[in-house]
Amino acid sequence: MSIESPRAAPRKKLPLKERYALLTRDLDWEPSYVDREQLYPFTRYEGIKVHDWDGWQDPFRLTVDAYCKYQAEKDRRLYAVLDGFAQGQGHLTLSDASYLNSIKLFIQAVTPLEYAAHRHFAFLARHLEGPAPRFAALCQSIDELRHTQTQIHTISNYNKYYSGFHSWSKMHDRVWYLAISKSFFDDAMSAGPFEFLIAISFSFEYLLTNLLFVPFMSGASFNGDTPTMSFGFSAQSDESRHMTLGLEAIKFLLEQDEDNVPIIQDWVDKWFWRAYRLSGLVAAMMDYMLPKPVMSWKEAFELYFEDQMLGGLFPDLDFYGIRPPRHVDDAIAEKEHLSHQVYKILHNFSSVAAFTTKTPDHVHLDWLSEQYPGTFDTYYRPTWEKHQRIEAGGGRMFFRGLPQQCQVCQLAISFTEQDDRRKISFRRSEFRSETFHTCSNGCKWIFDREPEKYVQAWLPVHQILKGDCGGPTIPDVLAWYGIQTGDNGEYNGSPDEQFWRAWHNPSLRHGE
Amino acid sequence: MSVKALYDYEFPSMDRAKLFGEDLLVYVHWEGNPIFCSAVCFRVPKTMRFGEFVTSFVVPWAESDPDFDHEAMKHWRIFDEPLDVADDKSLADLGIGHKALLTFAG
Repeated sequence: MSIESPRAAPRKKLPLKERYALLTRDLDWEPSYVDREQLYPFTRYEGIKVHDWDGWQDPFRLTVDAYCKYQAEKDRRLYAVLDGFAQGQGHLTLSDASYLNSIKLFIQAVTPLEYAAHRHFAFLARHLEGPAPRFAALCQSIDELRHTQTQIHTISNYNKYYSGFHSWSKMHDRVWYLAISKSFFDDAMSAGPFEFLIAISFSFEYLLTNLLFVPFMSGASFNGDTPTMSFGFSAQSDESRHMTLGLEAIKFLLEQDEDNVPIIQDWVDKWFWRAYRLSGLVAAMMDYMLPKPVMSWKEAFELYFEDQMLGGLFPDLDFYGIRPPRHVDDAIAEKEHLSHQVYKILHNFSSVAAFTTKTPDHVHLDWLSEQYPGTFDTYYRPTWEKHQRIEAGGGRMFFRGLPQQCQVCQLAISFTEQDDRRKISFRRSEFRSETFHTCSNGCKWIFDREPEKYVQAWLPVHQILKGDCGGPTIPDVLAWYGIQTGDNGEYNGSPDEQFWRAWHNPSLRHGE
Repeated sequence: MSVKALYDYEFPSMDRAKLFGEDLLVYVHWEGNPIFCSAVCFRVPKTMRFGEFVTSFVVPWAESDPDFDHEAMKHWRIFDEPLDVADDKSLADLGIGHKALLTFAG
């Protein structure tokens, strides 16, 4: 006896639009035994009014099966590149081992943010009221987890040969310069769901994404780092989906109610400045940490921000009553100075960092003079030449002590006044009879807007001085940070530099 | 404007003076010297005399610039106001409070 399966009629394939409707919006339901406010407790207290959640347009119409198929294909291609690079000793074909300092900064500062984004988009995937934005947030949550994993897998290959790659997750929670990126994302995650969307999806992923990510990926491409470039490509189609989500989020909220406009303007003002201050680390990386530079920070800022955003996006948003971010003129005025001032912090303090730095040589200084013809020779070149003289005499200047930090962005207070670029711009506020210091008009405005939030900032310098970071001495703190000898300090003479020379000149043994 | 939240948003400051007991946090900035990216932050007893503060905290920090000259330190200020320093007065006597910013030219 045999069982014959009934011959199924060939199934008609549904058009994409219909499939999307059935597999996302159609899965939603009206609650019957709790009211909507109990089911979605976080969507009202920020003052945002949404009248029709179905007004959300999802331009991608992605379904779970299609999503998994695309992502699996991208993963297969990426892992083929990673295998080839590892088997062929690809790390030896990088432009120089010092290039990897930018990748140390990436895995320590950016990868944990991908993971934080994964967590918070999962939260939005539960708590936004409309099924379409919930599904978009769910896809982004999975994207961010995938980015975290692909970055860890890509960069772990370098951990076999180079310092500074071993404890990035612990470092992100503890180390002073990583508090800059951590505090940025913690600030967004501790805000309401709509502020988070404007902070991360719009201000971070739309306004400044090209400035934050493209330099790392172009830097990888110019400096022979095919694996990093490949995960960049692999993430690129996700990023364009995230940018579209950011734009859709702001347009949706602006269209829902006129009362939303001033609230959103305030968030755009705040989060532009916070993301811009974070981008200072990228500026330093672009102008100082790439052995083969791609373009200057100033040029990237003009192209990706001034032309594309101020010239392209904001005229469109003007229709909704949104103007360019407050303090944007301060950022424009600072474009000739930002990278030099932030790299100075890293150079002063790499003795207590999980990367190394070096003073730019004459060729590099000439490049910087060409890129910044109006300012570099006046303000920055003489100081680097002084460092060169100190090093020619066998020294290396590090900052023997701890810096004053900004209460908001947590960078050292190192920026200067627009009308006097030699004068540090100190700003301060008094709140409950206590003094709080900020680095700029932008950070002071953010502090004064919500002082109750920022008085709780975990400032690494003050925490060390309280004795909460492993002990009173520098070695105690470094041990607590997870920084090992050789991770930190000067690049020239470091283990990375010595190994690199020995690998490329077999007559040398390590240390010679 | 204050923080929008679903509950009373009231938390103490992370670095309030009380947590440092008899000590202060004090910032010192060497004006016009770009070899230091920023001011330095010290934890010091309120009762420490200014002269000792300079000798045991400020000088060891400033000396990482080989051009530093102890004798040339002048024009002390607290925030934007001139500070009339005296080596034998304590920080508290000079009106230096928690998280004060001192500046000198060198």
